[in-house]
Amino acid sequence: SQPLTGHQAAELQSKVVPSKQILHSDNMEMEPETMETKSVTDYFSKLHMGSLVYSCTSKRKNK
Amino acid sequence: RMEASCLELALEGERLCKAGDCRAGVSFFEAAVQVGTEDLRTLSAIYSQLGNAYFYLHEYAKALEYHHHDLTLARTIGDLLGEAKASGNLGNTLKVLGNFEEAIVCCQRHLDISRELNDKVGEARALYNLGNVYHSKGKNVANAGTHDPGELPDDVKNALQKAANYYEENLAIVTELGDRAAQGRAFGNLGNTHYLLGNFRSAVLAHEQRLLIAKEFGDRSAERRAYSNLGNAYIFLGEFETASEYYKRTLQLARQLKDRAVEAQACYSLGNTFTLLQDYEKAIDYHLKHLVIAQELQDKIGEGRACWSLGNAYTALGNHDQAIHFAERHLEISREVGDRSGELTARLNLSDLQMVLGLSYSTNNSMMSESHVVEKGLNGTRPRAGRRHSMENMELMKLTPEKVQNWN
Repeated sequence: SQPLTGHQAAELQSKVVPSKQILHSDNMEMEPETMETKSVTDYFSKLHMGSLVYSCTSKRKNK
Repeated sequence: RMEASCLELALEGERLCKAGDCRAGVSFFEAAVQVGTEDLRTLSAIYSQLGNAYFYLHEYAKALEYHHHDLTLARTIGDLLGEAKASGNLGNTLKVLGNFEEAIVCCQRHLDISRELNDKVGEARALYNLGNVYHSKGKNVANAGTHDPGELPDDVKNALQKAANYYEENLAIVTELGDRAAQGRAFGNLGNTHYLLGNFRSAVLAHEQRLLIAKEFGDRSAERRAYSNLGNAYIFLGEFETASEYYKRTLQLARQLKDRAVEAQACYSLGNTFTLLQDYEKAIDYHLKHLVIAQELQDKIGEGRACWSLGNAYTALGNHDQAIHFAERHLEISREVGDRSGELTARLNLSDLQMVLGLSYSTNNSMMSESHVVEKGLNGTRPRAGRRHSMENMELMKLTPEKVQNWN
């Protein structure tokens, strides 16, 4: 193949070397979502005064 | 007897989800639902946790279903706090599914109830969620038109500005509450919103705060995110040296955390940064590292992108043999993945290289003769515009699927 002339090389370089705009990979790193949480024990401790939970745990202990 | 059984199953589901095994947790919650309970508050808690478990498992349709059940139930029993929580979760799920308008309604409901109950923590969380919905909405519209940060249509700008306002409101409350973890999240997403808006200095300030808090908590994933986001912002400030330093730290942490996909992304960013610094040998070094991992992860899109970048860097160095090798590989991969514009770009690169090397089309293989057909077919869209478009399209595709995130 023929050697490159200076002009050809310069032209090629300016053409194929991408600009800043083309390059950005836009890989933004987002923070995680926050979800609201509920728990079955929230209600039991308040409403059932632990009676049912107590029966469960005592049953477990007896096993 | 039945009541206890449902409760026991649900408790085991809770335990498993807390331990990080959502898949097993789901089975227990679903068994609990099967057994059933007359206690509607218990049922509401089960639905809510099922919704969250499916959310973390990325099964958003199921998550939507259960959060919706939870919302209906909370309203039926007049549990206002429960309704607020269900609305927030439903809003987050709708956001991920791309239903932004309904997501806004739900998150707004979460906010309204929290304010009514004078629940500051809930109010702050609702504001963060609203910020996230508007951020996603803005980003979604912006992606459709492939814009660079800072060059946005009005509707995108409005959504992003709203997101920034909600994050600021959230920050005011969580700062008052002294909740540093929440401040860290808000700073991170505020920084990304400023980045998209083209406020790169503000983005840097926010990400610096995020970095500080990540270090306070010893949270290395958050630290890595901050480095990467700082790198991105410095690229657009034209401070490539600084950007390269941040990307190097990203790479270091990605390796420590043994996250190959993130490591690949960091190498790609470094390759691009050294291209901007016109240090093509370092650029090639990083793009080759990116290429190896892309192949290892069988990420064809990433592999094509690496070949395209390598072709350009070798061309800049005047190493035309290697440049042609990678341009040909880029062409092959573009065909394989059905990326038509990538294919065109590769053909144009190849024909440029052939011309520079003084070869005529006729002496080359079939690849080059086909390029005439493509060029004619596109009515002379030969210039750089075609190339740019191609790369931007490629940039829209994620390197790898999003990772499961922690939810705190």
